[in-house]
Amino acid sequence: MRTLLRILAGLVLLGLVTGLVIFFGFTGAGPVPPASRDLEALDEEAEAEMYALGEYVAKAGDCAACHESEDGLSFAGGTPMETPMGTVYGTNITPSETNGIGNYTADDMYRAMVYGIAPGERRLYPAMPYTSYHAVSRADIDALYVYLMAQDPVEKPNRPAEMVFPFNLRPLIAFWNLIYRPDPPEDPGPGLSGGEDLAEDRRGPYLVDVLGHCGECHTPRNLAFAKTDDHLGGTVIEGAVAPDITPQGLARRGWTRENLGQFLSTGLSPQGVMTFRMFPVLSHSTKYLPARDIEAVATYLAEDMPDPASPPSEPAAVDAHPEGHGLYMGLCAGCHGSEGEGQPFGSVAMVGNTTLMLDNPLNLQRVIREGIPARSLSGHLRMQEMPAFEATLEDSELEALTEYLRDRWGVGAM
Amino acid sequence: MSALMTVSMTINGTETEPVEVPEDLMLLEFLQEYLNLTGTRYGCGQGVCRACAVIHDGPRGPRALPACITGVAWANGRAFRTVEGHAERDDEVNVTAITPVQQAFLDHFSFQCSFCTPGFVSAAQALVERLEVDPVPVEDVEDVVLAALNENICRCTGYVRYLEATRDVILATPGLTTGVERAEES
Repeated sequence: MRTLLRILAGLVLLGLVTGLVIFFGFTGAGPVPPASRDLEALDEEAEAEMYALGEYVAKAGDCAACHESEDGLSFAGGTPMETPMGTVYGTNITPSETNGIGNYTADDMYRAMVYGIAPGERRLYPAMPYTSYHAVSRADIDALYVYLMAQDPVEKPNRPAEMVFPFNLRPLIAFWNLIYRPDPPEDPGPGLSGGEDLAEDRRGPYLVDVLGHCGECHTPRNLAFAKTDDHLGGTVIEGAVAPDITPQGLARRGWTRENLGQFLSTGLSPQGVMTFRMFPVLSHSTKYLPARDIEAVATYLAEDMPDPASPPSEPAAVDAHPEGHGLYMGLCAGCHGSEGEGQPFGSVAMVGNTTLMLDNPLNLQRVIREGIPARSLSGHLRMQEMPAFEATLEDSELEALTEYLRDRWGVGAM
Repeated sequence: MSALMTVSMTINGTETEPVEVPEDLMLLEFLQEYLNLTGTRYGCGQGVCRACAVIHDGPRGPRALPACITGVAWANGRAFRTVEGHAERDDEVNVTAITPVQQAFLDHFSFQCSFCTPGFVSAAQALVERLEVDPVPVEDVEDVVLAALNENICRCTGYVRYLEATRDVILATPGLTTGVERAEES
């Protein structure tokens, strides 16, 4: 008995020691490449150049998605991110010394973005997409640093994360990192700072997988909430479907490379309009990408894409779903058209609508229930409000309408 | 050519004769073209300006909705009130008494061209009737009025006179608000 206890105590001790060795020896930040240039000795012209570049890196990296303040005026943080483990709030990344990142060096910013480790060995939750940003070039981080440090500091304290036990124990993230954090590539390439040197075939992946961190929402996660190998395969996150955006998934729903470019730069395409958490992505990020980068993103997403399917349509659904058809004619057709043709600047077409073609009806039902506010998309392009029908439709009616729509123009007609 | 359907609904308390109409006909066209009730206005045609608002008397109480994008396919069998149905009338359908909401809009000079007015009358009347069942604290009245009329667009008078008129009707009508005693004490 005593021997058994000794063995057990020994095992526990061994486990602890191993844990500590791993923690201190293997889970910290890795190597930090030298600064791309001496940031202390920038002349006015060089600083302006880096500022402009940094601003673009911030947009392409969609920092605002999480770090924007509630008033939308600064990077002072506060945007909630709901995860199954609790809620994390975007932090203040203005150069406030007390509340923001005013004391960061450019090396500190590199460690935070690439390794998820803030000054003081504070481990960031992987809600900060360092597993995507891990391949950002040092020059891009330096430019971003110059840009962020030139913002007005905002004295707004960070809102602590509200995680459930044991996920509130930050040191444990070290072990998650050990398993799920990729090392930065040996050669991350020149990044956006490289201009022409960032070749077209690297530009798309860099914008999509690294800076744009599209996979953070579009790639399914495992039980440890780490991204799986089903890259961009689509999943449910924060109560909405982030659709499958693999070339196969896109082609199945009728997307072309041109449509993708149009959708990302204007928020609107024949397949529909940006909704849920993709609308802020348009407003903060994709609408600012110049044509060349939109092209690169669309080309990468559509790489080796099969021929896109033509919009499905099944007229027999009218007779098969009399209740759903009646509800469509009575409540939807006024804007979306009796043949589902939609109208410009008002309502998207049902014919070819990507949401109707998703296997999961979640987004469709949420849009019908909750509506969509009137929105400025990009430039002068606006879409009018979609009313909420929560107070009008009984649950059974919503089901009937959903079934009709999906069988008429969506997944049931494919 | 769209399919036909036979519809009948209750408009201003009277059940309409069943009539065969295209199934994609909107309620607004039905009111204007089939019933000659032209008081409900066609504005944007997209459910945004609310010039076409009518009151739907449904199981969840009266609610203003846009008739221009609500189809007869849904309206069939339901009950609605248009701007023609608010005032009291004698046997020759002459108006004998207008509603407090209508009177307040006149007193406040709430409208100029009046194109939006039927929609505002519907929205304000639906609000007043909702408050009869579910009164709100006095201090919330302005917010509640704004929320109820916010969707209605007016290009002449700048909204304030509509909002003030509606607020005054609500404050002057017993039973629509709570906490009045306390307000009187102070």
